[in-house]
Amino acid sequence: MAAPTVTASLNATTYAPGAQMLLTVNYGDPDNKVLTVTVVVTDAQGNSSAPAKVSAVIDPLTITVTDDSGRTWSRVSDNGAVAVYRAVA
Amino acid sequence: MPRVTVSVRDSSGQSATARADYTVAAPVLGGYYLGGNADPTADMAGGAFRSLTQYRSFADGHIFPGYNRPWLTTLGRSGVRLNMVLELKHYGVPDTGPQTFTVDGVSYTVPAPAMTIQQRPGTVWPKAYGYGQVLAGQCDGLFARALSQYRTMGFGVNVQLASELDTDHEFGTTEAGKSYTWAESDARAVQAVTYIVNWFRAKALPQGATFSVGLGGFDRPAFQRTHPESLMSRLDFLQWNVYATSPGHTALDRFRRTKDWAVADLGPVALSRPVIIAEWGVRVAEIPDQAAWIATVPPAIARINAERGPLIARMNYFNSGWGTLSPKAAGLAALRAAYARPPFG
Repeated sequence: MAAPTVTASLNATTYAPGAQMLLTVNYGDPDNKVLTVTVVVTDAQGNSSAPAKVSAVIDPLTITVTDDSGRTWSRVSDNGAVAVYRAVA
Repeated sequence: MPRVTVSVRDSSGQSATARADYTVAAPVLGGYYLGGNADPTADMAGGAFRSLTQYRSFADGHIFPGYNRPWLTTLGRSGVRLNMVLELKHYGVPDTGPQTFTVDGVSYTVPAPAMTIQQRPGTVWPKAYGYGQVLAGQCDGLFARALSQYRTMGFGVNVQLASELDTDHEFGTTEAGKSYTWAESDARAVQAVTYIVNWFRAKALPQGATFSVGLGGFDRPAFQRTHPESLMSRLDFLQWNVYATSPGHTALDRFRRTKDWAVADLGPVALSRPVIIAEWGVRVAEIPDQAAWIATVPPAIARINAERGPLIARMNYFNSGWGTLSPKAAGLAALRAAYARPPFG
């Protein structure tokens, strides 16, 4: 099993009090594969349905964001490789 | 410095961690100036006014707190941060002759001011103590008098030397019959300001005493010339003034103009210093709804301070001249509302 990878970057280094802070997290895992399962239903007469496809992520990653100043970071978006979090300075 | 930690973990427990550090700046101090160095206490009441600008001439025998200005001491003791603009420009005394006075038992004689500044054609050129006079030690008595009064205040202030060197030098200067160009005047002023700061710093100063040099900030080469690293190492703040005088002027553009020049042109010592906006204002002739413009200031300052470069730390609304609030009540209400919002506090 390979180890996951992560980087974190803020959109600034200094914030005014009350300003919005954005945190961009890039992450991934070599083992993390998207598997597509295709299902076809066939009846006794041999009639088959159209194939239906579903995707499943095997071994998804869990992201945890903590802040030693006690600020709460809320997830704005996450596409499986890049997640963006927001907090108030 | 706060730190945000991001961990990713898979189902087998393998993980990776990344960290990012950040700084949350101190709140910007919203401040004020009332025309004529008048008592601003009533105007500041009920609002988060935490900073104040005042103007004095070194020629004036009453610099701290100023003649009939006990309220300045009261405001300072209550935590309002004072930006005292001390000028070589000569005013506050009846005549421009030499002065003889005693400070803490020592008698000083200071010659008549030998320089003219603000030499705009068609105007009467104001007199000022000359940079050559300062460097020759002829003005030490003025500094001694100011320092003696300063020590009675009981708290430190920021001493801003000169109001706007660019305004003073824009049309050249003349000292003892010799003319100097704008650039030459800037170079001479840097020497004189260095002399004055060194003079004060060699003495015992009230706790929290800081220094800066005054610029309008409207001319990029002059701003660069007056902020060499050798001088900035002795100063605590950058400073410039900001006015909106055209219908198209936005708060973001006006406040960032001089900062952008500074970031591009100045050295690391200068850029490590926070910024005092000693004056900012909205001219009602071109921008009738001053309150609406003032309401755009907090987000503009927040955005500018979120960008690379020196942080705006204090900014004092100039309720006089170009910044005169008219109607005053609406303008003051807008200032109170603005100073109640981030990044003020």
